[in-house]
Amino acid sequence: TVYSQNVYNFNVNNISVKQMFKQIEKNSKYTVFYRLDQVNVDKKINVELQDASIETVMKNVLQSQKLTFQVVDDIIIIKPVDGKSIATVTVTGVVRDVNGGSLPGVSVKLAGSSLGTVTDINGKYSLTLPDGTGTLEFSFLGFTAQRIAVNGQTIINVTLVEESKSLNEVVVVGYATQKKKDLTGAVAVVNVKDLNKQASSSVNSQLQGQASGVTVTGSGQPGEEPQVHIRGFNTFGDNTPLYVVDGMETYDVSTLNPNDVETFQVLKDASSASIYGARAANGVIIITTKKGKGKVSIQYDAYYGSQVPKGGNVWNTITPQQMADLKMTAQKNSGDDDFKDPLYNPTGVGSAYTVPDYITPAGAKESSPAVNPSKYYVNPNFTSPDDFGNFYRITRANKAGTDWYHAIFKNAPMTSHNISLSGSSDQASYLFSLNYFNQRGTLIDTYLKRYTLRSNTNFNINKHIRVGENLAYSITKTPQVNNATTHGQVSTNDPDGVIAHALREQPIIPVYDIMGNYAGSYGTGLGDANNPVAIQNRTKTSGSTSYRILGNVFAEADIIKGLTLRSSFGGDIVNSNDHSFTYPTYENVENSTINSYSENSNTDYSYNWTNTLTYQKTFGKHNINVVIGTEAVEDHTSNLGGSIQGFYTFDPDYVNLSTGTTNKNTFSSRSSNSLFSEFARLDYIYNEKYLFNATIRRDGSSKFPTNQRYGYFPAFSAGWRISQESFLKDVKWISDLKLRGGWGIMGNQKNMGSKDAHITFNSTIGQSYYPLDGTANLIPGFYQDQIANPNALWEKDINSNFGFDATLFDGKIAVTADYYRKDIKDLLYGATQLGTAGNGAVPAQNVGKMKTDGLDISVTGNIKASSDLNFSATGTITTYSNKISRVSDDANYFPGTATSRFDSPITRNQVGHSLGEFYGYQVAGFWNTQGEIDAANAGTQKITNDPNAVYQSDVKVGRFRYKDVNGDGIITEADRTFLGNPNPKVTAGLNLGVNYKNFDASIFLYGSFGNKLWNSVKYWRDFYSSFGTAKSYTALNDSWTPTHQNAKAPIQELDASTSSGATPNSYFVENGTYVRMRNAQIGYTFNINSLKKAGIQKLRIYVSATNLFTLTGYSGVDPELNGTTTDFGIDEGSYASPRTFLFGVNFSL
Amino acid sequence: CKKSYLDKPITGALEPQFLETEDGANQLLIGAYAVLDGQQGGDAAVGGGSAWEASPDNWIYGGVVGGDASKGSIAGDQQQIEPMMKYNPDASNSFFDSKWRADYEGVSRTNNTLKILAKVTKITDAARTNIVAQARFLRGHYYFDLKKMFNNVPYLDETTTNINQPNTTDIWPKIEADFKYAYDNLPATQDNVGRANKWAAGAYLAKTYLYEHKYAEAKVVFDAVIAQGVTASGQKYALNARFNDNFRAATNNSAESVFAVQAAANTDPNGPSNANNGDMLNFPYGNSSPFSCCGFYQPSIDLVNHFRTNAVTGLPYLDDYNSHAIKTDMGVAADESFTPDAGTIDPRLDWTAGRRGVPYLDWGVHPGADWIRDQQYGGPYSPIKNVYGQAEQETNGDNTSWAPGSGINYNLIRYADVLLMAAEAEAQLGNLDKAESYVNMVRNRAANTTGWVHTYKNNDKPTAGFTNTPAANYKISPYPGGAFASKDFALKAIYFERKIELAMEGHRFFDLVRWGIADTELNAYIAYQSTLTNDVRGGKFVKGKSEYYPIPLAEIDLSASGGTPQLKQNPGYH
Repeated sequence: TVYSQNVYNFNVNNISVKQMFKQIEKNSKYTVFYRLDQVNVDKKINVELQDASIETVMKNVLQSQKLTFQVVDDIIIIKPVDGKSIATVTVTGVVRDVNGGSLPGVSVKLAGSSLGTVTDINGKYSLTLPDGTGTLEFSFLGFTAQRIAVNGQTIINVTLVEESKSLNEVVVVGYATQKKKDLTGAVAVVNVKDLNKQASSSVNSQLQGQASGVTVTGSGQPGEEPQVHIRGFNTFGDNTPLYVVDGMETYDVSTLNPNDVETFQVLKDASSASIYGARAANGVIIITTKKGKGKVSIQYDAYYGSQVPKGGNVWNTITPQQMADLKMTAQKNSGDDDFKDPLYNPTGVGSAYTVPDYITPAGAKESSPAVNPSKYYVNPNFTSPDDFGNFYRITRANKAGTDWYHAIFKNAPMTSHNISLSGSSDQASYLFSLNYFNQRGTLIDTYLKRYTLRSNTNFNINKHIRVGENLAYSITKTPQVNNATTHGQVSTNDPDGVIAHALREQPIIPVYDIMGNYAGSYGTGLGDANNPVAIQNRTKTSGSTSYRILGNVFAEADIIKGLTLRSSFGGDIVNSNDHSFTYPTYENVENSTINSYSENSNTDYSYNWTNTLTYQKTFGKHNINVVIGTEAVEDHTSNLGGSIQGFYTFDPDYVNLSTGTTNKNTFSSRSSNSLFSEFARLDYIYNEKYLFNATIRRDGSSKFPTNQRYGYFPAFSAGWRISQESFLKDVKWISDLKLRGGWGIMGNQKNMGSKDAHITFNSTIGQSYYPLDGTANLIPGFYQDQIANPNALWEKDINSNFGFDATLFDGKIAVTADYYRKDIKDLLYGATQLGTAGNGAVPAQNVGKMKTDGLDISVTGNIKASSDLNFSATGTITTYSNKISRVSDDANYFPGTATSRFDSPITRNQVGHSLGEFYGYQVAGFWNTQGEIDAANAGTQKITNDPNAVYQSDVKVGRFRYKDVNGDGIITEADRTFLGNPNPKVTAGLNLGVNYKNFDASIFLYGSFGNKLWNSVKYWRDFYSSFGTAKSYTALNDSWTPTHQNAKAPIQELDASTSSGATPNSYFVENGTYVRMRNAQIGYTFNINSLKKAGIQKLRIYVSATNLFTLTGYSGVDPELNGTTTDFGIDEGSYASPRTFLFGVNFSL
Repeated sequence: CKKSYLDKPITGALEPQFLETEDGANQLLIGAYAVLDGQQGGDAAVGGGSAWEASPDNWIYGGVVGGDASKGSIAGDQQQIEPMMKYNPDASNSFFDSKWRADYEGVSRTNNTLKILAKVTKITDAARTNIVAQARFLRGHYYFDLKKMFNNVPYLDETTTNINQPNTTDIWPKIEADFKYAYDNLPATQDNVGRANKWAAGAYLAKTYLYEHKYAEAKVVFDAVIAQGVTASGQKYALNARFNDNFRAATNNSAESVFAVQAAANTDPNGPSNANNGDMLNFPYGNSSPFSCCGFYQPSIDLVNHFRTNAVTGLPYLDDYNSHAIKTDMGVAADESFTPDAGTIDPRLDWTAGRRGVPYLDWGVHPGADWIRDQQYGGPYSPIKNVYGQAEQETNGDNTSWAPGSGINYNLIRYADVLLMAAEAEAQLGNLDKAESYVNMVRNRAANTTGWVHTYKNNDKPTAGFTNTPAANYKISPYPGGAFASKDFALKAIYFERKIELAMEGHRFFDLVRWGIADTELNAYIAYQSTLTNDVRGGKFVKGKSEYYPIPLAEIDLSASGGTPQLKQNPGYH
């Protein structure tokens, strides 16, 4: 059969009409259009024609039916013989996306026919229809298809909505991809667009509230990575999830440029994650970065904004005169009637305390010769104790009171510029991006500066072989010394951190003395805090720079159809250097006279080499996908550093490790670990209805003893797309409904130390050197630094998950909900051992058990009110409940490490409770009279039959009365109890978006509900006896007095006691529930036509505000408090997330 | 290939088989010596906790709690000490576990030395015996410290495999056995002056007998130590001519030093881990103080009053010393004038307690309130025995951390202590004249005027030296012959002499308990001191309980393997 010059040759026998039409369409330019109710398409015919015209052919085909036809343009329309003449209709229009951009390549089809076309480069189409009836279908990959009835219209313009939540979305899972509708595990697919609305250096901090099952707690500190927990707690140690960035595994994505992220998936349960075996238990986050697509395009995204710290009297600080008054009250309450005070009443005459003119010399008046500036001598850069001994300081009192909060928290700018170049052709795709991120912290002298360069390329060598690379290089600069937990940050939220010093420093102290050198607590009665402005300013010459390459190269080959071999070699090289100079101090009551310099460098590298073989085949109703693979991972870390003291001058250009003179100190260390693994996964789908998945991994780790190196981690899951069943097919409002269930084992080796399987000895100055011959020549010795556990096994996280995915009302609403339960056994934990074991490092042992369960829910809605107005909403709800069921062989609890300034740890981790619960005495009111105390003591003496017994030690009128929890009539150790759980009952995020014409607006709300917080700030400020710090209005106006018994705080007195603020008690526990408007944004996209001449594809500008408001009953600065696994939700003076106002632009060429 | 891929070397540490040589065993022994100071570096006690929680001089557990000193600083600072000095501490108080763990680390290191030494084949018998005997001496010391603190403690030696041992068996015999072995096997002199020798072991053995009230056994050994004892470097034991030479780095390891925790300043760039880290808080504090911290361990007013002597006899007021109180500058501001006490005073006072108006080493005349953090709380005095001098601050002051260290050895046993212990044994055995002669040896040394505190040549330049004028009205005399007329009087005088000679050296509380008079003495102390300072107000020593510290609750909880704790709490504690 040949087609030439509009003549046709056919020689076919016994062919159906329908098949014949297909032959015609295949061999001609024509499309045959007919109605099934009019044409008997199954009729068998014979067509034998030579050089026939199309008319002849059609007559031949239709000869025995009462049909005729009409040729219009390229359409052959079949109609009954008696039918009216056909008047064709040509429909035209433009297809755009929601932002008004034209969409080329959209398929436009008349439903039920083969009539169709595609949109041109401008999104325009033109389609001739046999009549004005029928329905047009507009479809385009990545967008929700739309059907529009023609109804005689000749112009049909369409806006297609991106189908980001659609069922056919491809989701990257462990070593494979799946369509979302085929998922059987619990995978949260994060909307990257929502993620990127939050201006931040870190994808982790953007993640807060965006994925159900993920809890993120951060702070306002630039570059400080927040705590990310997937489904609560999985171990007593490090709960950081594993990240897989373009196939390269890492635990640190702090250097990832958020603009580069294309997809973001959270694998939450065993069936999705346990293919990562020994590293899966904390959950796995899979990130892919953007690849080049389509024609060459340049995109520029930038924002600039200002961060604004909280205003007002943030810490509720009283004035210097009120400080003086409070001191007198405390003295009176303690029976001290000596009102001669060096600061407030130096002469001792009279009994009134007034704020002096000068704090140094203490209590001096303006007229005093002691404040003659000619006497002043301070050399801030002193190097000798003799020089220091000659200082003469003169410091005025700040009678109005120094606002220390705002002395260290200032408005601070932040900016990000991102430019990318991308494109693709048949042979290659490429994306290059460059990001400059610079955020100053609201805490002075804190910052994060980062440059990130990315190159992602793919080459199709031929039809069956592909190679490529994804590579990011970053340079990150942060203040001060680098360390793994704080990411190179200053220490905040620490009882001796800079913010704690600011809240402790008295308001009477000015920032500077009369000559502009630092003022401080030097003197009498000024507390013992350090000047926080000085602390921060002195870090200016310190800093840390980190260089990192993270990426992989890969090759892929299709061996036979459906069988693909892939090999990927990834690497992560981190090189960081930091240096810091410690200045001597002179302004505080406790000064350090040494100057020292330290420098430290870390070189870490790791690689993973992954080889997979993937086979995919569909036969009939069966679809299978099999992956088998191997992986080798090796980590190396090394560290080198030193410190030295005794500099001639502190000029930062002079100071280095060679120019100091005394106390030279050097150190280095290195270690390595490796992992070798084999894994397999099977996905099987029957009839698009029944889904089954199984994975298995075998991991071998260098950390474990030789005889038990290997662990096996299986998982199974199944899904049932119940909406495909006939009984639900007719339920119109259910577009898709899938039930899922899974079970599996995830492993954890993270808490196992490299040496844990071995007894080792070591030799260090502090531990084991001794001046045995009576001189400063120390003699080195050895000590046991590691206790061995030769029996360590993998930690096992046995996980069950049940859930459903529902798409309702034609995709307008999508719901995903999961219930999970994790039983963690053989939990590796270095449980404290008896003192008789010696002090070698305790190895991880498989001693603990824990259970976590919870509910993850996410709901998405998209409502198109009109062609111009579009609403969208996404809500996520996360709950988890965590119970420790075993701690060790010996004890049923282990204490947390945070003690603040209390006499015992604030938290206790005990069987039957969650990790991190607060522990101490329950305050049951005050001792209001001596009679109450006597009566209680008498009762105790009777019960104990001991005439010396007291009900509660250290009691006085006005102090706390503790609850007798065990009811034995005496307050002891045993009456300490659990005071609150810092784990939220529920966290939730809500994204709301609206598009109207060229405008788009969104808000994002985040809430944490039912968690308790520990406010240690109250220790410093509500108790007069706490180290002479700045005090609060609570201490001044709402503390116990005989006439104000219904008070908040106990009596103000000179003594600290376990019956007031010295021991952990419920006074410090507060409700931590809050709802915060994390982000609000309004954008405008300029009309494309007016800019197109300049070649501009897109221009959008926006303004955005972060942390606009927070609703909370918490009395501290900010209810969002991060920490460690066992000590969090503790406020030692936190670095609150500031309010941020941004202006931004998205621009593409 | 796969196997070797997963075999990663242990870096920066050694497995035990590499130490199975003579040199290795010796280095393990040095490691066992190295925890005598209770420190691991970085201002941390070797068992965890802060440096001072396991100070080898027991300034908290023997000094403050024994009434030698107020805790000092301000109320609420190191709050854990406050319930101890009022005798109502909780077993959960973290200081107890730090102390416990520091001593057991010492035990563990001596046991490791013995265990690994047993596998060493190339070594002479003499060398082996010397190492074993030193290790057992040190183990004896660590257990002695545990015994006097906690009384009922678990015992592990180099053969013990289960670390969870009960604390129901009295370990005095074990301690005795270790010191006996050391005494019988150690050489009289050693290559390094800091090593234990025969006579240090003898003194410690006799001290053990004394604690066990085995006076006859004690006397035999004391006699030998006094007659033949030499230091590890071979110096015959003797009292230093100058009392203060026991507290100066320049005279470390003198003839009086029987066994000392060796100190060396500025040897660890990360802090004074070999320089009395445990005493880092115990320096004058405030405006014009030359020290960076912290105003703790202030000699109590009660202690200072012990140093009053009778103007005629030069003897102390054994019973009513507080009725002859020494004038204080309580409530007197630094810029107000103050004249120090003009009455007769034991010259040892001004080497023991810094007080206003008197030269404070070579740092200048003590300015009173300016160097005191809170007089009302901790009284007006400053510690001295642990404080380095100004002229030697570059070498023996250690300012590598936020609070100072010093290069002054702490004498666990010094010869004056031996004499007073021997006096006690003699008195108990009825040899009162012998006892008196020992006490008078100690008093006569104190009476040596060249060893007294003298005024500065120039108050504005204290390092320029001293005059020959005593800084106060010092008077001290030996007991006249036959003064020890009764055993009761003899013991009272010996106890008193111990108090003033060894004040601020961490012995007091343990002495009082050993003598069985802790309740009366300490309740009297609280009654008196409470009228002057508010730090111990409300405190009460409870007989039958307060003699020993509680077994750390954390240890009891950890000993609950299988349900019931192996460790039993001491009487009176929860």
